[in-house]
Amino acid sequence: MNIASLSTEQSPPISFPFSFFALAPLFLPLAAVMLALGEGNPFAETHSPALLAATHCITLGFMAAVMFGAVQQILPVLVGSKMPAARLVARFTLPALFAGTLALCGGFMRGQPLWFNLAWILLGPALLTFTGASLISLARAPANNATRSAILLAVIALAIAGSIGGLLAHGFATGAALPYPEWLVAHAGFSLGGWVMLLIAGVSYQVVPMFQLTPNYPKWLTAALAPALFVLLLAGFLPLLFGTAARPLTLAAESLYWLLAVIFAGVTLNLQSRRRRRVPDATLSFFRLGMVSLICAALFAFAATLCPAAHTAFRTLSALAFLLGFAMSVVNGMLYKIIPFLVWFHLFRGGMKSGIPNMKQIIPEPWMWWHYRLQWATLLAATGAPFLDRAAWLVAAGLSLQGFLLGAGVFKSIAVYRKHVRQINRAQA
Amino acid sequence: MESIITLDVCGLPPPEPFVRIMAALETLPAGSALQVRIHREPFPLYDVLRENGFAWQTATPADGNFQILIHHAA
Repeated sequence: MNIASLSTEQSPPISFPFSFFALAPLFLPLAAVMLALGEGNPFAETHSPALLAATHCITLGFMAAVMFGAVQQILPVLVGSKMPAARLVARFTLPALFAGTLALCGGFMRGQPLWFNLAWILLGPALLTFTGASLISLARAPANNATRSAILLAVIALAIAGSIGGLLAHGFATGAALPYPEWLVAHAGFSLGGWVMLLIAGVSYQVVPMFQLTPNYPKWLTAALAPALFVLLLAGFLPLLFGTAARPLTLAAESLYWLLAVIFAGVTLNLQSRRRRRVPDATLSFFRLGMVSLICAALFAFAATLCPAAHTAFRTLSALAFLLGFAMSVVNGMLYKIIPFLVWFHLFRGGMKSGIPNMKQIIPEPWMWWHYRLQWATLLAATGAPFLDRAAWLVAAGLSLQGFLLGAGVFKSIAVYRKHVRQINRAQA
Repeated sequence: MESIITLDVCGLPPPEPFVRIMAALETLPAGSALQVRIHREPFPLYDVLRENGFAWQTATPADGNFQILIHHAA
């Protein structure tokens, strides 16, 4: 069996995703720096510059970077289609994404048009390149399953969110008269509720049963969830067309969206409770924490609607539970599964038949558990962040430490991979 | 008539299915076929099979698992 001579055409080189994975954690301490530079408690006001800068460090610098790297690798595995011109896409999107995120942070913190202009000029082409390449890959995919549909809708949602984000950045730079509150709601909806939620759902349909040894997701859920969520997100445009007259309809759409999100989280938790191998697993715990956080995000959103007096505080808590609790926990859990698997897979395809490290040895399990506990502590602090300055500082500290711990795990994996590649090279010499 | 060796890797976590299939193919006699039962469609495996001179047919029985019949390409 000639594994060593395999073309790397079908599976992008490991250096592509690892470049994204290695740099992305740096944006977590950077988010903490943004929070520290803000005036007073940045969490007390939903649109404070420091909170917006920190949010984009997490959503773009950390989360989008990890997802861009992961999507490039998982498309061939989950839907059987590689990304076209993967090398070019990675080499262009990585610097443009990171530089654009830094420019956007500069824009929020300094309020200068130059930074906002630089941000949309860099981020626009980066997002366009990634979404274009992903759509081509998905169009060519031989698999026509629910994962493909969900990822397709996630990428379309990213394109919409990115376009609105570019429009807003351009508006901030030029001072153009735009209906900013309505566009901001649509931007947040399509980026978090669209891109993040749909991608996590689509990938979960396969990754949860595959890695966590659970039964498959029920077909009624995988067939209907992503299209239904996407249609409900479109209701976010109604206020732009009909103003306050659309309020009852958008409220109904939002409530239905959260209800579906709770159903997804509940089904996932139920499947995980029926897993075949009942051994403690940090990645599974991250996933479960993510699903519980998604339910909390929905409850806070309902509370915001039912309790107008505390509307802003509940909105902030809902956003924190979704972003830090749901999205970050699941992304961390997936990373800790994907990274060891990629190292193993690339070593195997590189020609190593024996002596490949066990997947559990690539990133030390205790590190993952420490990270998991740190994530819990960060989330507990986040529940008090809108009200207590000290809690806000703890969130910032938690994000920093998480970034360093995750970064150390990625670099440990790269070191393991390089060590074994040297062994392969010596054996072949 | 070719003999068929069966291999059930349903429910095994990654990378076990891949490892077991590759090990079985290492010793697959000429004229024989390997019938694999697996819980998800293993797209990366197809690349490896193609590059190593194997042909395959994939079927999806009613139970939702995939049946892949692998044999040496003519």
